[in-house]
Amino acid sequence: MVLLVIGKNPFEVFSLMFSDVFGSGYGLGQTLFKATPLIICGSGLAICFHASLFNIGAEGQLNAGSFVIGLVAYYLSGLPFFVAIPAALICGFIVSGLLGLVPAIIKVEKGVSEVITTIMMNFIILALINFFLIDFFAVKSTVHTEKISDAVMIPKFSDFMPMFQGSSLNFVFVFAILIAVAAYFFIYKTRFGYEIRAVGYNDTASKYIGIKINKIILSSFFIGAGLTSFVGMNFIMGYKGYYEFGFSNNLGFTAIAVALLAKNNPIGVIFSALLFGFLDYGGLTVNTIVPKEIMFVIQGIVILTILSVDKLVEKYYLK
Amino acid sequence: MNIIEFKNITKKFGNLTANDNVTFSIKKNSVHCIVGENGAGKSTLMKILFGVYRQDEGIITIKGKEADFSSPLDAIDCRIGMLHQHFMLIEDFTVLENVILGSEITRNIKLDFDKSEKILNEYIEKYNLDLSLDKKISELSISEQQKVEILKLLYRNSDIIIFDEPTAVLSPIEVIEFFKIIYQFKIEGKTIILITHKLNEVKEISEYVSVLRRGKLVYETDAENLDIKILSKEIVGDVDVKNDSGNYEYEGEPGVLAELKNINLKKNKLNVLNNFDIKLKKGEIYGICGVEGNGQNEVIDILYGLNKNFTGDLNIHTKKISLVPDDRIKKGMIKEFSVGENIIIKKKNLKSVNSKSILKAANDVIIKYDVRLPEVNAPMESLSGGNQQKVIIAREVELDNDLLIFSHPTRGVDIAASSFIHSMILEQKKKGKAILLVSSDLDEILKLSDRFGVINKGCIVAEFEKNQFNLQDETEKTILLESIGKLMIGITGEQKN
Repeated sequence: MVLLVIGKNPFEVFSLMFSDVFGSGYGLGQTLFKATPLIICGSGLAICFHASLFNIGAEGQLNAGSFVIGLVAYYLSGLPFFVAIPAALICGFIVSGLLGLVPAIIKVEKGVSEVITTIMMNFIILALINFFLIDFFAVKSTVHTEKISDAVMIPKFSDFMPMFQGSSLNFVFVFAILIAVAAYFFIYKTRFGYEIRAVGYNDTASKYIGIKINKIILSSFFIGAGLTSFVGMNFIMGYKGYYEFGFSNNLGFTAIAVALLAKNNPIGVIFSALLFGFLDYGGLTVNTIVPKEIMFVIQGIVILTILSVDKLVEKYYLK
Repeated sequence: MNIIEFKNITKKFGNLTANDNVTFSIKKNSVHCIVGENGAGKSTLMKILFGVYRQDEGIITIKGKEADFSSPLDAIDCRIGMLHQHFMLIEDFTVLENVILGSEITRNIKLDFDKSEKILNEYIEKYNLDLSLDKKISELSISEQQKVEILKLLYRNSDIIIFDEPTAVLSPIEVIEFFKIIYQFKIEGKTIILITHKLNEVKEISEYVSVLRRGKLVYETDAENLDIKILSKEIVGDVDVKNDSGNYEYEGEPGVLAELKNINLKKNKLNVLNNFDIKLKKGEIYGICGVEGNGQNEVIDILYGLNKNFTGDLNIHTKKISLVPDDRIKKGMIKEFSVGENIIIKKKNLKSVNSKSILKAANDVIIKYDVRLPEVNAPMESLSGGNQQKVIIAREVELDNDLLIFSHPTRGVDIAASSFIHSMILEQKKKGKAILLVSSDLDEILKLSDRFGVINKGCIVAEFEKNQFNLQDETEKTILLESIGKLMIGITGEQKN
């Protein structure tokens, strides 16, 4: 409809999108590459959302964590990769997690809604990163850090499978899937995940059942925010080799939609992230015939349609 | 004249048949009671009438016309009102705002509060509701909240009013007040449908009675031919109500398990507990009876360790405390979780939770306590109130804790389940547990407790020992009940004229 209004043939546009994405290894690779950070960040947010904590602060949290990952990976370049990579990830996780703890503590102590505090934290964190980056760590006249050594780079798919030639798809994608599966297991199969969901559903009952609600709020915020830091791995270790300011391009907000579309189920997050990846990359491929803005509109419409169809199916089931 | 006719109503939820070919009618301007056990299908039938559910088969005729409601809005248009078991009020809104919500009177685009206020105050006076319109719902007691719901029905000019277990949350004196309102409704020509468990209330107020059992209409009668014995037999069916007087005395070593001394507690600068004293002993049931909102919940929170802002001495010689809370949906369970998940969430020693352990926990309880549910993995919210309560009590009892707190354990629960719950409580006493029973149902307090105190304004105003209240003589009993009733509402002996 929208496409017709702007005078393009929708079939042409969509068939181009499909053929570009699925017709070549490169297109498929790029789609998966774009989905990777969304899977990671969406899984982290799913944990927060299960506790009914509306963490809008992923954008800031993931940037801080990624920044730290980039720095640690650079300074530990001399160490073997099996030490340097985990060390970088752990540092990133801790930094993102601690920044996630700030709104959690304010909520627990003073009862301030996390929605407001996390939004404010975004401004603070991004400004601080900008300050540290420009004044201390950036390569002169750029907004990115020093390049990490090749030893700590994650191999690309194209190194093993020639069909993905040219695509930035790398093994962080596999790591992301593992994170989603782990998050799924954590939420649905462990006692801790159970308590998180209980608090999310009904915190009063949880209190009477004997769950320490504050502990749940703090830890789910820490874990959820911490996970978002791994987003940086895809960009830094799998793609550019350095942290660049603005690399996330509002990914932290898109991931909110990804998690919600998947009803906060991390396995579902994989699929909804793939959909977003498809729309994102697919949008690029038809850029020549359709303006980018129109593709954003179409992305929005696709998601709204899926959500309403979902409700319709649900209603039909109940009847 | 029949104002409502149900013809062959059938409603199924999955494998569960909630209403099975139900046919009966309700006369205009009558008080019609619908009785039955938990899960007998009373609420479902009324929700169909109110447009919440749609029947699978059958026809409902209202005022001679076939009703085909697709939502409660249609029912409200037909001037049907329903007072639900769980109130539908917004806590942060005032009484006025809650009542007018959905049918506001406006002047241009502005809400006309003055006009609505005038109308509502007329109703309040006429029905003697004793409510102030500018108070917030969160400041009101349960019985006051119920009055707000009633005011909502009046404001919408309902002339057929469905009450779903209205007296379950009321103290004896409040019930009398409530009945006065119902009589007033009748005088005004309204038709009243009352769902209840309490047979003495049926006897007192109903003109017609219909009994549902397992979804079927099994018995109908009118006030003249009403016999409580037949009625209770029809409700329960072939199983006879256990009225056991077995030996539940604890024979082990006695001892004080918990003691509260001179407890004072302030909430919003008001004293909610005033020099509160009780002792809980092993193998003894201590009852607290009183009108709701006199500090009962605060005492429970203190004992259970959730509130530490009090002054006074609290000595508890155990950390193993179980609680069956007063509001099972809000405090007792995660309604989206299944039965098994709700049980397992409290078993702290269980580190991994998998579908197997959940299923086992659920099956154990379902069999042992005869819980009826659509299917094992169904969420708790799909169970009837009595069955939810059984699950919660089973969970708490199975933990084998030393101190058990039961707050209104049989509220909104039918006769068979009530007597089952009562014998469960007595069994725990025999095992030597210390038990605190909080209830506004005086019969329950008298039946179960070894000692009990009457609470009023955060203070135990009188305490009774078993030999003082376990009376055979009917007149003495009446006198005792009357004086307890007075203590509950704060009229002490000295003030007697």
